[in-house]
Order: sequence, then structure tokens, then C-alpha cells
Amino acid sequence: MPVTITGLSHHSSPVELRERFAFTEAQIVEALYQIRKKGIAEEAMILSTCNRVEIYAVSKNNNKSFSQELSQFLCEFHNIREKPGDALYAFNDSHSIDHLFRVSCGIDSMVLGETEILGQLKQSYKLALEQKATGPILNRIFQKAFNVAKLVRTKTQIQRGSISVSSVAVELAESIFDSLESQQVLVIGAGDTSEKAARAIKSRGASSILVSNRSHEKAMSLASELQGKAINFDTWEQEFKTIDIIISSTSAPHYVLKRDKLQTMLKQRGNSPLLIIDIAVPRDIDPECNQVENVYVYNIDDLQTIASQYLNQRKADLANCERLIIKKRDEILIDLKPYHRQPSLILNKQQTTS
Amino acid sequence: MSAVIIYGLGLLYSIFVWRRGFQYNNWTSYTLISIAFVMHTIALTSRGFSLQQCPVNNLYEATTFILWTISLSSLICGLWPRLRYIGVFTAPLLFSVGVFAMMPGLDPAYGDEPNFINGWSSLHAALIMLGYGAFGLSAITGSMFLTQDRNLKFHRASAIFSVLPSIQRLEKLITRSLMLGLILLTAGLTIGAIFLDLPDGVSFWNDSKVIWSLLVLGFYLTLLIAHIKFDQRGRRYAWMAIIIFGFVIFTFWGTNLLSSIHNPK
Repeated sequence: MPVTITGLSHHSSPVELRERFAFTEAQIVEALYQIRKKGIAEEAMILSTCNRVEIYAVSKNNNKSFSQELSQFLCEFHNIREKPGDALYAFNDSHSIDHLFRVSCGIDSMVLGETEILGQLKQSYKLALEQKATGPILNRIFQKAFNVAKLVRTKTQIQRGSISVSSVAVELAESIFDSLESQQVLVIGAGDTSEKAARAIKSRGASSILVSNRSHEKAMSLASELQGKAINFDTWEQEFKTIDIIISSTSAPHYVLKRDKLQTMLKQRGNSPLLIIDIAVPRDIDPECNQVENVYVYNIDDLQTIASQYLNQRKADLANCERLIIKKRDEILIDLKPYHRQPSLILNKQQTTS
Repeated sequence: MSAVIIYGLGLLYSIFVWRRGFQYNNWTSYTLISIAFVMHTIALTSRGFSLQQCPVNNLYEATTFILWTISLSSLICGLWPRLRYIGVFTAPLLFSVGVFAMMPGLDPAYGDEPNFINGWSSLHAALIMLGYGAFGLSAITGSMFLTQDRNLKFHRASAIFSVLPSIQRLEKLITRSLMLGLILLTAGLTIGAIFLDLPDGVSFWNDSKVIWSLLVLGFYLTLLIAHIKFDQRGRRYAWMAIIIFGFVIFTFWGTNLLSSIHNPK
């Protein structure tokens, strides 16, 4: 099989090493040019993300020496003199296809099933295509990889759900509200997690965010970052009738909101649904508030439980993904058989196209 | 008959989905309801053609027409991916009421002429049945609301794993189907009051079916006003939509049998 992958990822190396091998877009263009100019490979594509740097290449040469050549090129290009040892890996034959498909589906990612990698892979492939660095083999394999990623997304649970607390908060909001655009969010306490949750909700369209904190300066600073409005901590209750989502993370040692107080305030807001995300420890919201009709209270444990259930669901579906990948790998291997038998075909095809 | 059997299969699938959770956006339930709907439509159409009128002239026909309306509206709603599972909530109703409609005695043989009088009579009955179909839809969306609400209240991951609509959207759907039902029921009753002639010695105000229909209209109108004007929302609202429709289903036959206008001796 004429495809080889050489590189390093979060599995094999720490960030200190990965960052030394990372490529900028301009460097990718230059590296692709050099690979072809030096005759190292007929086809090449470089993927460089925060978690991996990989060269996907096709050559008529012997696989082992080819992967060594690619490793050497990687080190030389980045002026890395010391030997990276086991940090650099290489995949040949059918393993290279397996690896690419696993990467495209997010199975090889640090966050299992994440979808960002597919976008990065598409972007890198597009860049290589623009540089005319790809050919018939890489084109086929990458198109297949994108198809496999789509298939895995639709046929399995590997990419479903949120596995971070802030994205679970967003999904909860979307299970309650028709659209987040018209919802008013109140952030009580300007902590890190509440900021992340507020940002996540804002990224889904929430346009109106109020921030209230004991230190008004902190509230103003977070409000300006979220393009919201800071309100005085003692007066947040006055805004209550317009609020749909509360994200609370104060360091108060007692409940900030109790059931009887909530019930009184709810009357002002026409019984419309209210989502309360309580990420404070100790908790800010009396758990009894969840008993009130149209009020949904989630604390940090609830959110983490949902996130871990999602993760377990993804892990449970890994075997299905692997089965799909093997099936699709076997299909592409059959497609690529002519190239395997006649390496010269690659050169001939390229010469014809150029 | 075959339509009811397929609605029954839909019911079995519903039990399976309820146990597993509404996690996959699949078409099984939708397909089953679609197949049953085609059969249901063929049966209604052939009866309609044989009578040369809308087939809503006895209890069997009226019930199957209401079920057909519910089936159609759930198929239309199911075109939206997040409402595709509506069939899972619709199938139990379609099957149970469908079985009841097939009970002997609800579909007596017609004489030489069917007992309807003119086109207004058909329109009157059809509009009312469509109205009950819309009320049925409000009960179905109400049960979807209660499912989602319960999952959210108990912090079940299935609240966000599932492909059901948001509870706010479900509440809107309840309201819209109630409004549609009220419009259709009011139109049907108005046509009946204005354009249909009563037999001698019979009054609207002594007829059990008329009183019952006005009562149903009053219940739904009160529910809608309570929702719009007095902020009756959420679980209570969804429960009321289900309870009132339950009342309609359980008392529909009885009041019809007692009515001297709708069930003349």
C-alpha cells in the first residue's frame, strides 16, 4: 500500500514537543513544496493541529525507508537536531488508512468523538489540493475519510451529546427553550465556570446577558467581555421577571435563592420556564426550588453526571465505529489495488494531469 | 382493520422506544403510521365514494374520521425531525380508539338511503371531527411535554439525549392545536345550528350531544383563556389538554347514543 503517515500526537508526545513540530499555514505550503521538490513523495498532505502533526504521503518507494525519510524531513524542516525517539510514529499499509479514518471520526482525538478535527482535516486537505500536492490516491482516501466520518456521525453515538459541563448547560437550555436568541441570561458570581457556561449559551445566540457579582468591578469586566450588562448584586432580584436562565456560582456559604423567595418572584414572570444552573460549591440554590413547577435546577453534579453519561455512551459505541471503519477500509483497499500493483501508474497519472 | 393492526404494531414499537429513550432520529414509527394512514385513507375514501358523502354518519365513521385526522396531523408534524417521534405518542391512541371503533353495533348497516340530510350536514360533522382531531393532537403533544418535563425535573440525561422538541415548543404546539380545534368545532357547531333543520318537537337545548359539545367547547375555551390570560402553563396545562381529550373520548359514544338528533330512533 503506497500511503504512509508520519507524525506525532497527544498520544505519543507532550505539548512541549508537539509545539516544536507544529506548522503554520505558510510553513505547510513551503513543506509541501519541498517534499515534492526533493522527490520525497509524489503526493502529500500535512495536518497540524494543537493535538497532532502528521504528514500523509504517497511514494513509490519502500514503505519503511519512506517513513524514515518523512521523519527526517519533519525534523530537518523544524531544525530539531535531537532524536524524537518514540514520539514520532509511522503507519504504513492498511494501518495508515485505519489511522486516517479514526482521526477523521474523532476516535483518535483527546476528547473522544470531537468533531473539530474533521473541519481541520478538511481545511488541511483543501490547502494541499490548492497546492496541487495531492494526487489520485490521497484524493480517494481523503474523500473516503470524509464519507466515513459522516457515516459514523449518523450511524453511531460517538459524536452525540456534550461532554463538558458548559455544553451540557447549553443543551439543557435548548431542551427547555424554543430558541436561545430571545432568552435573557443572568450570571450571578463572576467565576470561571459560570463565564464558560455563559459564553457557551451566548455562542448559541443568547443576546442578552446580565452579570451580577459582589464586586461590581468584576461584574463589569465580565459583562464587557460577554457584551452584556453589569447589575448591582443587591438588585438582581428586581431583574428577575425578565430572566429565563440563571447561572449561579457565588462563593456564598448559604443559599442565595430559596424556594419560598423563588415562588414569590415567579409570580412576576407569568410562570414561564426558568432554568437555573447552579455551579457553586457550596450550592447557591436551594434544591427544593426544583420542586417548583416550570423551574429546572441543575447543580454541578447533575451536569457532570450527564456529561459522563454522554462520554460512556460514546465509549460504548467505539466498537461499532471500529467495525464501520474496517468495512470502509477494506472497500478503499479494493479501490486502490491497481495503484498497489503498478506504482508507476501514480506517476503516469500525475504526468497526464500536469 | 389492517390499519388498526399496523397502529398496533406502532404501539408495540412505542413501548420499545419508551424503554430505550428517544435517542435515534429514526423513521420506524413514522413509517408504520404512514402505512396505516394509507390503508385508513383507502378505507375512508371507498366508504365516502360508496355513500357519495363524507363518511361521518355513524359512531364508527365518526371515530375513524377523528383517528384519520389525528394520524394525518401527526404525519405532518413528524416531517419536522424533532417531532418525528410524535408517532410513538400517537400510535397508542390510534390503536386503542381504533379497536373500540370496530366494536359491533357502532357501524349499523345503512338502509336504502343513509341518514344524512344534505351537504351542510356532512360539512357540520366533518368540521367537528377535524376539530376533535386537533384536540387529540393537543393531548398527544401534551404527553410529549410531560415526558420531557419529567426527564428534565429528574435530571435524566434522556432529557437532552432525546430528539424531542423543547418544552417551550411543545407548549406552543398544544396552544396552536387547541386554537385550531376550537375554530373547527365552533365552525361545525355554527353550521349545525344555522343550516340544519331539526325534526319536529326536538330542541337543540334538550339534546345531550349539543349540550355535551358546548360543554367541550367551554372546557377548551376556558383552558385556552387560562393559558393566555392567566398564565396557566407547563405541566398543569399539558395535563388539562390530556384530561379534557380523555373526557371527549370516553363520553363521545355515550352522548351520541342518548341524542335524539344524532341518533334518531
